[in-house]
Amino acid sequence: MNLIDRYVAEVGRRLLLVKGRKDIENELRSTLEDMLEERAQKSGKPADEVMQMELLKEYGAPAKVAETYNPNPYLIGPRIFPFFMFILKIVLAAVALGLGIATFIQIINLSPMSAVQLLETISKGILNIFSTSIAVFGNMALVFSLIERFAPIADFKMDEDKEWDPASLQKEPEPQEIKIWEPILAIVFTFIALSLFNFNPHLIGIYHLDEGEWKVIPLLSEAFFRWLPLLNIAWVAEIILNGMLLRTGKWTTSTRLISIGTKLFQVIILALLFAGPSILAVTPASLATGGITDPEAAQTLSQLAHTGMKIVLGLAIFGTVVDMIKSVYKMFTARATA
Amino acid sequence: MANTESLENIVLELRRGVIVLAALSQLGTEEYGYSLLKKLADLGLEVDQGTLYPLLRRLEAQGLLESDWKIEESRPRRYYVISAEGKKILTKLKKEWAGIVSVMDKMLA
Repeated sequence: MNLIDRYVAEVGRRLLLVKGRKDIENELRSTLEDMLEERAQKSGKPADEVMQMELLKEYGAPAKVAETYNPNPYLIGPRIFPFFMFILKIVLAAVALGLGIATFIQIINLSPMSAVQLLETISKGILNIFSTSIAVFGNMALVFSLIERFAPIADFKMDEDKEWDPASLQKEPEPQEIKIWEPILAIVFTFIALSLFNFNPHLIGIYHLDEGEWKVIPLLSEAFFRWLPLLNIAWVAEIILNGMLLRTGKWTTSTRLISIGTKLFQVIILALLFAGPSILAVTPASLATGGITDPEAAQTLSQLAHTGMKIVLGLAIFGTVVDMIKSVYKMFTARATA
Repeated sequence: MANTESLENIVLELRRGVIVLAALSQLGTEEYGYSLLKKLADLGLEVDQGTLYPLLRRLEAQGLLESDWKIEESRPRRYYVISAEGKKILTKLKKEWAGIVSVMDKMLA
Protein backbone atom coordinates (compact mmCIF):
# COMPACT_ATOMS: atom_id res chain seq x y z
CA MET A 1 0.00 0.00 0.00
CA ASN A 2 1.54 3.29 -1.03
CA LEU A 3 0.87 6.66 0.55
CA ILE A 4 -1.87 7.54 -1.90
CA ASP A 5 -3.71 4.30 -1.16
CA ARG A 6 -3.46 4.98 2.53
CA TYR A 7 -4.64 8.52 2.07
CA VAL A 8 -7.64 7.39 0.00
CA ALA A 9 -8.47 4.77 2.62
CA GLU A 10 -8.32 7.48 5.31
CA VAL A 11 -10.76 9.63 3.38
CA GLY A 12 -13.03 6.63 2.71
CA ARG A 13 -13.03 5.71 6.37
CA ARG A 14 -14.69 9.04 7.05
CA LEU A 15 -17.35 8.49 4.41
CA LEU A 16 -18.67 5.18 5.69
CA LEU A 17 -22.28 6.26 5.55
CA VAL A 18 -22.05 8.22 2.32
CA LYS A 19 -23.58 6.74 -0.81
CA GLY A 20 -21.06 5.95 -3.56
CA ARG A 21 -18.09 5.81 -1.21
CA LYS A 22 -16.16 3.34 -3.39
CA ASP A 23 -16.75 5.58 -6.37
CA ILE A 24 -15.46 8.61 -4.50
CA GLU A 25 -12.39 6.66 -3.42
CA ASN A 26 -11.65 5.52 -6.98
CA GLU A 27 -12.11 9.00 -8.37
CA LEU A 28 -9.89 10.49 -5.69
CA ARG A 29 -7.16 7.91 -6.32
CA SER A 30 -7.29 8.49 -10.06
CA THR A 31 -7.09 12.26 -9.56
CA LEU A 32 -4.16 12.02 -7.16
CA GLU A 33 -2.30 9.73 -9.53
CA ASP A 34 -2.89 12.14 -12.39
CA MET A 35 -1.59 15.02 -10.32
CA LEU A 36 1.42 13.03 -9.19
CA GLU A 37 2.25 12.03 -12.73
CA GLU A 38 2.02 15.61 -13.86
CA ARG A 39 4.37 16.73 -11.11
CA ALA A 40 6.83 13.99 -11.99
CA GLN A 41 6.80 15.08 -15.63
CA LYS A 42 7.32 18.71 -14.71
CA SER A 43 10.25 18.00 -12.42
CA GLY A 44 11.70 15.51 -14.89
CA LYS A 45 12.19 12.70 -12.40
CA PRO A 46 10.04 9.71 -11.41
CA ALA A 47 7.49 10.17 -8.67
CA ASP A 48 8.85 9.34 -5.25
CA GLU A 49 7.59 9.37 -1.72
CA VAL A 50 8.66 12.97 -1.12
CA MET A 51 6.63 14.06 -4.10
CA GLN A 52 3.64 12.07 -2.86
CA MET A 53 3.94 13.71 0.54
CA GLU A 54 4.02 17.19 -0.96
CA LEU A 55 1.00 16.40 -3.10
CA LEU A 56 -1.03 14.98 -0.24
CA LYS A 57 -0.10 17.88 1.99
CA GLU A 58 -1.41 20.29 -0.62
CA TYR A 59 -4.53 18.24 -1.23
CA GLY A 60 -5.41 18.58 2.42
CA ALA A 61 -6.17 16.56 5.54
CA PRO A 62 -8.31 13.46 4.87
CA ALA A 63 -10.96 14.70 7.28
CA LYS A 64 -11.25 17.95 5.37
CA VAL A 65 -11.43 16.22 2.01
CA ALA A 66 -14.05 13.79 3.30
CA GLU A 67 -16.07 16.70 4.61
CA THR A 68 -16.45 18.17 1.12
CA TYR A 69 -18.05 14.92 -0.07
CA ASN A 70 -20.31 14.55 2.92
CA PRO A 71 -23.68 15.93 1.93
CA ASN A 72 -24.97 15.49 5.42
CA PRO A 73 -22.58 16.55 8.14
CA TYR A 74 -25.30 16.55 10.80
CA LEU A 75 -26.14 13.86 13.27
CA ILE A 76 -29.62 15.33 13.39
CA GLY A 77 -30.10 17.92 10.66
CA PRO A 78 -32.06 21.17 10.72
CA ARG A 79 -35.05 19.57 9.02
CA ILE A 80 -35.86 17.13 11.76
CA PHE A 81 -34.21 18.95 14.68
CA PRO A 82 -37.37 20.85 15.72
CA PHE A 83 -39.31 17.58 15.62
CA PHE A 84 -36.57 15.92 17.67
CA MET A 85 -36.74 18.66 20.29
CA PHE A 86 -40.52 18.46 20.41
CA ILE A 87 -40.56 14.70 21.00
CA LEU A 88 -37.61 14.90 23.39
CA LYS A 89 -39.39 17.41 25.61
CA ILE A 90 -42.52 15.29 25.77
CA VAL A 91 -40.61 12.09 26.48
CA LEU A 92 -38.40 13.69 29.13
CA ALA A 93 -41.43 15.24 30.80
CA ALA A 94 -43.14 11.85 30.79
CA VAL A 95 -40.02 10.21 32.26
CA ALA A 96 -39.75 12.81 35.00
CA LEU A 97 -43.44 12.56 35.76
CA GLY A 98 -43.57 8.75 35.66
CA LEU A 99 -40.54 8.29 37.89
CA GLY A 100 -41.75 11.11 40.13
CA ILE A 101 -45.02 9.26 40.63
CA ALA A 102 -43.13 6.01 41.18
CA THR A 103 -41.05 7.68 43.89
CA PHE A 104 -44.19 9.13 45.41
CA ILE A 105 -45.84 5.70 45.49
CA GLN A 106 -42.71 4.22 47.02
CA ILE A 107 -42.79 6.80 49.77
CA ILE A 108 -46.41 5.98 50.49
CA ASN A 109 -45.65 2.25 50.49
CA LEU A 110 -42.74 2.60 52.88
CA SER A 111 -44.51 5.04 55.18
CA PRO A 112 -44.15 5.57 58.03
CA MET A 113 -40.46 6.27 57.44
CA SER A 114 -37.75 8.26 59.15
CA ALA A 115 -36.57 11.60 57.78
CA VAL A 116 -33.33 9.95 56.63
CA GLN A 117 -35.24 7.24 54.80
CA LEU A 118 -37.46 9.86 53.20
CA LEU A 119 -34.48 11.94 52.03
CA GLU A 120 -32.79 8.82 50.75
CA THR A 121 -35.84 7.74 48.76
CA ILE A 122 -36.29 11.22 47.27
CA SER A 123 -32.62 11.58 46.28
CA LYS A 124 -32.68 8.10 44.77
CA GLY A 125 -35.75 9.12 42.80
CA ILE A 126 -34.05 12.27 41.52
CA LEU A 127 -30.91 10.35 40.53
CA ASN A 128 -33.08 7.81 38.80
CA ILE A 129 -34.82 10.56 36.81
CA PHE A 130 -31.41 11.96 35.80
CA SER A 131 -29.89 8.69 34.65
CA THR A 132 -33.05 7.61 32.84
CA SER A 133 -33.30 11.00 31.12
CA ILE A 134 -29.73 10.67 29.86
CA ALA A 135 -30.43 7.17 28.57
CA VAL A 136 -33.63 8.36 26.91
CA PHE A 137 -31.78 11.27 25.31
CA GLY A 138 -29.12 8.91 23.96
CA ASN A 139 -31.64 6.48 22.54
CA MET A 140 -33.68 9.23 20.94
CA ALA A 141 -30.58 10.80 19.41
CA LEU A 142 -29.73 7.38 18.00
CA VAL A 143 -33.19 6.88 16.51
CA PHE A 144 -33.27 10.38 15.03
CA SER A 145 -29.78 10.09 13.59
CA LEU A 146 -30.99 6.93 11.82
CA ILE A 147 -34.04 8.80 10.56
CA GLU A 148 -31.73 11.60 9.40
CA ARG A 149 -29.69 9.13 7.39
CA PHE A 150 -32.28 6.78 6.00
CA ALA A 151 -35.57 8.65 5.73
CA PRO A 152 -36.07 10.68 2.55
CA ILE A 153 -35.68 14.39 3.20
CA ALA A 154 -39.00 15.04 1.47
CA ASP A 155 -40.79 13.44 4.42
CA PHE A 156 -39.75 16.31 6.62
CA LYS A 157 -40.80 19.56 5.11
CA MET A 158 -39.46 22.65 6.74
CA ASP A 159 -41.86 25.42 7.57
CA GLU A 160 -40.47 27.59 4.81
CA ASP A 161 -41.32 24.91 2.25
CA LYS A 162 -44.98 25.59 2.79
CA GLU A 163 -46.52 28.62 1.23
CA TRP A 164 -46.80 31.15 4.00
CA ASP A 165 -49.60 33.65 4.20
CA PRO A 166 -48.82 36.84 6.17
CA ALA A 167 -52.58 37.22 6.67
CA SER A 168 -52.32 34.42 9.23
CA LEU A 169 -50.67 36.96 11.54
CA GLN A 170 -53.81 39.07 11.62
CA LYS A 171 -56.18 36.39 12.84
CA GLU A 172 -56.64 36.47 16.58
CA PRO A 173 -56.73 33.01 18.04
CA GLU A 174 -59.62 32.14 20.34
CA PRO A 175 -58.51 32.67 23.92
CA GLN A 176 -57.37 29.25 25.08
CA GLU A 177 -55.65 30.41 28.23
CA ILE A 178 -56.22 28.50 31.41
CA LYS A 179 -56.03 29.63 34.99
CA ILE A 180 -52.84 28.39 36.54
CA TRP A 181 -54.47 27.04 39.71
CA GLU A 182 -56.83 24.74 37.82
CA PRO A 183 -54.27 22.19 36.68
CA ILE A 184 -52.41 22.47 40.01
CA LEU A 185 -55.57 21.66 41.96
CA ALA A 186 -56.39 18.86 39.54
CA ILE A 187 -52.93 17.34 39.97
CA VAL A 188 -53.01 17.60 43.77
CA PHE A 189 -56.44 16.03 44.05
CA THR A 190 -55.65 13.30 41.57
CA PHE A 191 -52.55 12.43 43.59
CA ILE A 192 -54.64 12.32 46.74
CA ALA A 193 -57.16 10.06 45.00
CA LEU A 194 -54.37 7.82 43.73
CA SER A 195 -52.79 7.41 47.13
CA LEU A 196 -56.08 7.09 48.99
CA PHE A 197 -57.77 4.49 46.79
CA ASN A 198 -54.63 2.48 46.13
CA PHE A 199 -52.82 2.51 49.42
CA ASN A 200 -55.31 3.46 52.08
CA PRO A 201 -58.69 2.13 50.98
CA HIS A 202 -59.51 1.31 54.61
CA LEU A 203 -59.84 5.04 55.27
CA ILE A 204 -62.78 5.35 52.89
CA GLY A 205 -65.95 4.67 54.80
CA ILE A 206 -68.58 5.93 57.12
CA TYR A 207 -67.11 7.07 60.42
CA HIS A 208 -69.08 6.70 63.59
CA LEU A 209 -68.40 6.83 67.30
CA ASP A 210 -68.80 3.49 68.99
CA GLU A 211 -68.31 3.63 72.74
CA GLY A 212 -65.97 6.59 72.48
CA GLU A 213 -63.96 5.06 69.64
CA TRP A 214 -64.06 5.96 65.95
CA LYS A 215 -65.15 3.04 63.81
CA VAL A 216 -65.27 2.85 60.05
CA ILE A 217 -67.79 1.00 57.94
CA PRO A 218 -66.18 0.23 54.58
CA LEU A 219 -67.97 2.15 51.88
CA LEU A 220 -66.64 0.61 48.69
CA SER A 221 -67.21 -2.95 47.53
CA GLU A 222 -65.02 -5.44 45.67
CA ALA A 223 -66.85 -4.37 42.50
CA PHE A 224 -65.18 -0.98 42.81
CA PHE A 225 -61.67 -2.23 43.48
CA ARG A 226 -61.85 -4.56 40.49
CA TRP A 227 -61.87 -1.47 38.27
CA LEU A 228 -59.18 0.35 40.23
CA PRO A 229 -56.38 -0.42 37.72
CA LEU A 230 -58.43 1.28 34.98
CA LEU A 231 -59.14 4.22 37.27
CA ASN A 232 -55.40 4.50 37.97
CA ILE A 233 -54.68 4.77 34.25
CA ALA A 234 -57.32 7.50 33.94
CA TRP A 235 -55.83 9.37 36.90
CA VAL A 236 -52.28 9.15 35.60
CA ALA A 237 -53.53 10.41 32.22
CA GLU A 238 -55.24 13.26 34.05
CA ILE A 239 -51.99 14.15 35.82
CA ILE A 240 -50.02 14.06 32.56
CA LEU A 241 -52.63 16.22 30.85
CA ASN A 242 -52.62 18.79 33.64
CA GLY A 243 -48.84 18.77 33.70
CA MET A 244 -48.85 19.62 30.00
CA LEU A 245 -51.43 22.36 30.55
CA LEU A 246 -49.31 23.78 33.33
CA ARG A 247 -46.34 23.92 31.00
CA THR A 248 -48.06 25.41 27.95
CA GLY A 249 -50.39 27.68 29.93
CA LYS A 250 -53.11 27.28 27.32
CA TRP A 251 -55.10 24.70 25.45
CA THR A 252 -53.56 23.37 22.28
CA THR A 253 -54.81 20.83 19.77
CA SER A 254 -52.71 18.08 21.33
CA THR A 255 -53.83 18.76 24.89
CA ARG A 256 -57.43 18.95 23.67
CA LEU A 257 -57.05 15.58 21.99
CA ILE A 258 -55.53 14.04 25.12
CA SER A 259 -58.28 15.59 27.20
CA ILE A 260 -60.97 14.15 24.90
CA GLY A 261 -59.24 10.76 25.01
CA THR A 262 -59.05 10.67 28.82
CA LYS A 263 -62.68 11.78 29.11
CA LEU A 264 -63.77 9.04 26.75
CA PHE A 265 -61.82 6.58 28.87
CA GLN A 266 -63.45 7.95 32.03
CA VAL A 267 -66.91 7.55 30.49
CA ILE A 268 -66.12 3.91 29.72
CA ILE A 269 -65.00 3.27 33.32
CA LEU A 270 -68.02 5.08 34.73
CA ALA A 271 -70.28 3.03 32.46
CA LEU A 272 -68.63 -0.17 33.69
CA LEU A 273 -69.14 0.92 37.31
CA PHE A 274 -72.74 1.88 36.52
CA ALA A 275 -73.64 -1.37 34.75
CA GLY A 276 -71.89 -3.77 37.11
CA PRO A 277 -72.77 -4.76 40.66
CA SER A 278 -73.01 -1.89 43.11
CA ILE A 279 -69.70 -0.35 44.05
CA LEU A 280 -71.01 0.39 47.51
CA ALA A 281 -70.31 -2.08 50.28
CA VAL A 282 -73.22 -0.75 52.32
CA THR A 283 -75.61 -3.49 53.44
CA PRO A 284 -78.32 -3.54 56.10
CA ALA A 285 -75.95 -5.68 58.16
CA SER A 286 -73.07 -3.22 57.91
CA LEU A 287 -75.42 -0.40 58.77
CA ALA A 288 -76.55 -2.33 61.81
CA THR A 289 -73.01 -2.42 63.10
CA GLY A 290 -72.96 1.32 62.52
CA GLY A 291 -75.77 1.80 64.99
CA ILE A 292 -78.87 1.62 62.81
CA THR A 293 -80.48 -1.22 64.60
CA ASP A 294 -83.99 -1.00 63.12
CA PRO A 295 -83.86 -3.60 60.31
CA GLU A 296 -86.46 -1.82 58.19
CA ALA A 297 -84.68 1.52 58.42
CA ALA A 298 -81.37 -0.17 57.60
CA GLN A 299 -82.94 -1.87 54.58
CA THR A 300 -84.40 1.39 53.28
CA LEU A 301 -81.20 3.33 53.89
CA SER A 302 -79.08 0.73 52.14
CA GLN A 303 -81.50 0.72 49.18
CA LEU A 304 -81.34 4.51 49.06
CA ALA A 305 -77.55 4.48 49.14
CA HIS A 306 -77.29 2.07 46.21
CA THR A 307 -79.86 3.95 44.13
CA GLY A 308 -78.20 7.22 45.05
CA MET A 309 -74.84 5.86 43.88
CA LYS A 310 -76.34 4.84 40.53
CA ILE A 311 -77.76 8.33 40.11
CA VAL A 312 -74.39 9.89 40.96
CA LEU A 313 -72.65 7.64 38.43
CA GLY A 314 -75.30 8.42 35.81
CA LEU A 315 -74.82 12.16 36.37
CA ALA A 316 -71.05 11.74 36.20
CA ILE A 317 -71.36 9.96 32.86
CA PHE A 318 -73.64 12.69 31.55
CA GLY A 319 -71.35 15.46 32.82
CA THR A 320 -68.23 13.86 31.35
CA VAL A 321 -69.91 13.37 27.97
CA VAL A 322 -70.98 17.03 27.95
CA ASP A 323 -67.43 18.06 28.86
CA MET A 324 -66.08 15.90 26.08
CA ILE A 325 -68.39 17.43 23.49
CA LYS A 326 -67.41 20.90 24.70
CA SER A 327 -63.73 20.00 24.27
CA VAL A 328 -64.33 18.74 20.73
CA TYR A 329 -66.22 21.92 19.89
CA LYS A 330 -63.55 24.19 21.37
CA MET A 331 -60.84 22.32 19.54
CA PHE A 332 -62.53 22.83 16.21
CA THR A 333 -63.42 26.49 16.76
CA ALA A 334 -59.85 27.13 17.91
CA ARG A 335 -58.54 25.41 14.79
CA ALA A 336 -60.89 27.34 12.54
CA THR A 337 -59.68 30.67 13.86
CA ALA A 338 -55.99 29.75 14.18
CA MET B 1 -6.33 42.26 8.43
CA ALA B 2 -10.03 41.71 9.03
CA ASN B 3 -10.74 43.60 5.83
CA THR B 4 -8.57 41.38 3.65
CA GLU B 5 -10.30 38.41 5.22
CA SER B 6 -13.78 39.66 4.43
CA LEU B 7 -12.63 40.63 0.92
CA GLU B 8 -11.36 37.09 0.40
CA ASN B 9 -14.63 35.64 1.65
CA ILE B 10 -16.69 37.82 -0.66
CA VAL B 11 -14.54 36.92 -3.67
CA LEU B 12 -14.88 33.25 -2.72
CA GLU B 13 -18.66 33.58 -2.55
CA LEU B 14 -18.74 35.33 -5.93
CA ARG B 15 -16.67 32.60 -7.54
CA ARG B 16 -18.64 29.82 -5.95
CA GLY B 17 -21.74 31.15 -7.65
CA VAL B 18 -20.25 30.84 -11.12
CA ILE B 19 -18.58 27.45 -10.77
CA VAL B 20 -21.72 25.49 -11.72
CA LEU B 21 -22.15 27.59 -14.85
CA ALA B 22 -18.44 27.30 -15.68
CA ALA B 23 -18.40 23.52 -15.22
CA LEU B 24 -21.57 22.94 -17.25
CA SER B 25 -20.29 25.20 -20.03
CA GLN B 26 -17.04 23.24 -20.32
CA LEU B 27 -18.55 19.75 -20.24
CA GLY B 28 -19.89 19.76 -23.81
CA THR B 29 -17.07 17.29 -24.36
CA GLU B 30 -16.12 14.59 -21.88
CA GLU B 31 -13.70 15.55 -19.14
CA TYR B 32 -12.52 13.82 -16.01
CA GLY B 33 -12.30 15.75 -12.79
CA TYR B 34 -8.67 16.73 -12.97
CA SER B 35 -8.71 17.58 -16.67
CA LEU B 36 -11.72 19.84 -16.12
CA LEU B 37 -9.94 21.49 -13.22
CA LYS B 38 -6.96 22.24 -15.46
CA LYS B 39 -9.17 23.36 -18.31
CA LEU B 40 -10.92 25.87 -16.04
CA ALA B 41 -7.58 27.03 -14.66
CA ASP B 42 -6.19 27.50 -18.16
CA LEU B 43 -9.21 29.65 -18.97
CA GLY B 44 -8.49 31.71 -15.87
CA LEU B 45 -10.84 30.24 -13.27
CA GLU B 46 -8.96 28.61 -10.42
CA VAL B 47 -11.25 26.18 -8.60
CA ASP B 48 -10.40 24.24 -5.49
CA GLN B 49 -10.54 20.42 -5.95
CA GLY B 50 -12.51 20.17 -2.77
CA THR B 51 -15.16 22.29 -4.41
CA LEU B 52 -15.14 20.93 -7.93
CA TYR B 53 -15.27 17.14 -7.42
CA PRO B 54 -18.16 17.05 -4.97
CA LEU B 55 -19.93 19.56 -7.22
CA LEU B 56 -19.59 17.23 -10.21
CA ARG B 57 -21.10 14.41 -8.19
CA ARG B 58 -23.97 16.63 -7.09
CA LEU B 59 -24.67 17.78 -10.65
CA GLU B 60 -24.70 14.16 -11.75
CA ALA B 61 -27.10 13.22 -8.97
CA GLN B 62 -29.34 16.06 -10.18
CA GLY B 63 -29.29 14.61 -13.68
CA LEU B 64 -27.43 17.55 -15.25
CA LEU B 65 -24.32 15.47 -15.95
CA GLU B 66 -23.66 11.91 -17.00
CA SER B 67 -20.58 9.99 -16.04
CA ASP B 68 -18.73 6.89 -17.08
CA TRP B 69 -15.60 5.11 -15.91
CA LYS B 70 -13.02 4.60 -18.65
CA ILE B 71 -9.63 3.00 -18.45
CA GLU B 72 -6.94 5.15 -19.97
CA GLU B 73 -3.18 4.83 -19.65
CA SER B 74 -3.84 1.87 -17.36
CA ARG B 75 -5.73 4.16 -15.00
CA PRO B 76 -9.51 4.24 -14.52
CA ARG B 77 -10.94 7.71 -14.91
CA ARG B 78 -14.41 8.97 -14.40
CA TYR B 79 -15.53 11.04 -17.34
CA TYR B 80 -18.30 13.58 -17.03
CA VAL B 81 -20.35 15.05 -19.87
CA ILE B 82 -23.37 17.32 -19.90
CA SER B 83 -26.76 15.55 -20.20
CA ALA B 84 -29.74 16.60 -22.31
CA GLU B 85 -31.34 18.03 -19.18
CA GLY B 86 -28.08 19.82 -18.36
CA LYS B 87 -28.03 21.43 -21.78
CA LYS B 88 -31.50 22.85 -21.26
CA ILE B 89 -30.49 24.23 -17.88
CA LEU B 90 -27.27 25.63 -19.31
CA THR B 91 -29.18 27.61 -21.94
CA LYS B 92 -31.32 29.16 -19.23
CA LEU B 93 -28.33 29.78 -16.98
CA LYS B 94 -26.53 31.57 -19.80
CA LYS B 95 -29.46 33.96 -20.19
CA GLU B 96 -29.52 34.54 -16.43
CA TRP B 97 -25.81 35.24 -16.48
CA ALA B 98 -26.12 37.71 -19.35
CA GLY B 99 -28.87 39.46 -17.40
CA ILE B 100 -26.79 39.65 -14.24
CA VAL B 101 -23.76 40.95 -16.14
CA SER B 102 -25.72 43.68 -17.90
CA VAL B 103 -27.41 44.77 -14.67
CA MET B 104 -24.15 44.82 -12.74
CA ASP B 105 -22.37 46.64 -15.56
CA LYS B 106 -24.96 49.36 -15.38
CA MET B 107 -24.65 49.56 -11.62
CA LEU B 108 -20.89 49.63 -11.56
CA ALA B 109 -20.42 51.98 -14.52
